[in-house]
Amino acid sequence: MLEALLTVEFFITAMALTVRIAPTILFASLGEVISEKAGVVNLGVEGVMLITAFTAFYTSFHTGNPAMGLLVALAIGALIGLVHGFLTVYLGLNQVVVGLGLWLFGLGIPDILYRISFKEVPTVKVFEETPIPFLSEIPFIGPVIFKHNILVYLALMLIPAVYLIINHTRPGLNFVVCGENPKAAHAAGINVLRTRMTAVLIGSVLASLSGAYFTTAFLRSYITNITFGRGFIALAMVYFGNWSPVRLLLPLLLYNFVDSVQLILQTADIGVRYYVLNMIPYLTIIALMPIFARGVRPPAALMKPFKQP
Amino acid sequence: MSFSYFFKLAAVNLGAVAVGLSLGMLIVYITGADIILAASTLIFAPLSDLYNVAEMFVWFTALMVIAQGIGLGIRAGVWNVGAPGQFLVGSILTMMVWKFLNPFIPPLPLTLLMLVGGAAGGLLWALIPAVIRSKFGGNEIVVTLLLNLVAVSVLWWALDGPIRGRFSAGYPLSDVIPTAYRIPSLIPDSRLSYSLLIALAVAAVFYLLAEKTHFGLQVKSVGLNPTAAKTSGIKVGWTLFKTLLIAGAAAGFAGSLHLMGVLFRMDAGYAETGNDFGYIAIAVAMLGGAHPVGILFSSIFFSYMMIGAQNMQRIIQIPFPLVYAVVGCMLISLTLVQRINRRAV
Repeated sequence: MLEALLTVEFFITAMALTVRIAPTILFASLGEVISEKAGVVNLGVEGVMLITAFTAFYTSFHTGNPAMGLLVALAIGALIGLVHGFLTVYLGLNQVVVGLGLWLFGLGIPDILYRISFKEVPTVKVFEETPIPFLSEIPFIGPVIFKHNILVYLALMLIPAVYLIINHTRPGLNFVVCGENPKAAHAAGINVLRTRMTAVLIGSVLASLSGAYFTTAFLRSYITNITFGRGFIALAMVYFGNWSPVRLLLPLLLYNFVDSVQLILQTADIGVRYYVLNMIPYLTIIALMPIFARGVRPPAALMKPFKQP
Repeated sequence: MSFSYFFKLAAVNLGAVAVGLSLGMLIVYITGADIILAASTLIFAPLSDLYNVAEMFVWFTALMVIAQGIGLGIRAGVWNVGAPGQFLVGSILTMMVWKFLNPFIPPLPLTLLMLVGGAAGGLLWALIPAVIRSKFGGNEIVVTLLLNLVAVSVLWWALDGPIRGRFSAGYPLSDVIPTAYRIPSLIPDSRLSYSLLIALAVAAVFYLLAEKTHFGLQVKSVGLNPTAAKTSGIKVGWTLFKTLLIAGAAAGFAGSLHLMGVLFRMDAGYAETGNDFGYIAIAVAMLGGAHPVGILFSSIFFSYMMIGAQNMQRIIQIPFPLVYAVVGCMLISLTLVQRINRRAV
């Protein structure tokens, strides 16, 4: 039975699914890279994703348009980012506590709103597959990379974009200085608080893209705790990637590949119980930690609030 | 801790609580429920009869024991968000100890062994994040959280194999622990057992550990300033390691108290029980200022609120997840008012 699965077709299916579920983590990870580069951890990424997944679902259900769902989710993400930035950057509150608070808030609110707004289990329209002409015809690479919905392409293009912004533009370099040495940044005339606030805002908006991806592209219906820990996995990826938007791609794809294989096997009924399969991706992450953690160095002023002198 | 300081702290924390509760009421208002009825249910239902009072102390027992462990962690600067998983694994191990050893060991020593099994299960589940945090400097919050999700799968596996009941008829159910191996009931016709007294003893142990021992002092100094602690000769990694293990053991122990004193059997819903206790205990530890005595008070407050919320769900159909939103908001407002207070001093 297992041999039948080890074919080229199976591998292509698994790789394509890997790329299709990657945005549920990728957007949030890229956003978190920017935010942490500037010195602010958002442990509430999961909360942002839960809230925006619901907002996107709710909006696209009532407008019949996933693009509207996405837009409203982005607006909500920006709003949460403003609040989170105000609390952690301007007031300098403990980033762990604010993040945990935001997460628990997100664990409760969408669930209540879902229960009071919908009586049955509704489904919504999602972004359909838009294969890229010619490129999607290439064997293997075509179906794996060029046959997805537009958000997948957007996520993939954001990787070099974030890399360029952080390493080759002035605002990006400002983020890095504020995360490494805010005092020096201040001395050089950078407004540390505003720079960090911007980074947090970008991080939160990108996290909301990941959240919205669940209900505007990946799934057609809403379920309780829809993100299932993927916000926290996004945080782990930032760490594995040593705060580089490019280096996090390998562990991220690895994790999603394991998860894809596991999801396909669950439907294939190979005699392994679903609960055993379920825990494999999480265990992979934990097992990888000691390997990827070697030589990792966080931004020097990470989680350290800056007080404007 | 002087009295005036204590009262000031209490007043500040009450401010944060008020913010959280007002948010909760706002949400209740948005859902269109009768807000007066909701508020009066929240306030009066927990004290309305003996059953509700007993239920309150059932929550108190679990929340307080778990929060003591989390509180010790906060003192050292580590965040044990893994209590739900540790609670589950502790309970599973308790069940396994009973199931596999009851033909060989008489009830009384086995009961003690079951309690030890619970603590050991929690400790085991905290071992992985403890190693990753202290050896590799990884983030314990992410690891403990992911392990909570793994623990749910472990529960399903256990219910499908090692602890599956003889009469479960294919359902994921364990056997019921017989009376001889239970913690005896404290109030008849309620779910409250002598677990409550054991929990209070645990609180006393944590008080002595945190306030009267050398280890407690080390924990405090690591939490205040790891660099300074290191230069004064404290092994920072080792202290964090031990703290996380103790926190895990406490959560696992709470699991065996709950299983042996309240539920007596495990099913798929046990995962939710663990989540409710484990996540809310973070807020309990925060509100209690991570102090063993403070946690005692904040556990009473939170268990009161939980019974209120349960009654709100039963009587006026306000979904229980509301408490998560309220607890999340309370956490944020707690740090907020503590900051304002520090500025004012």
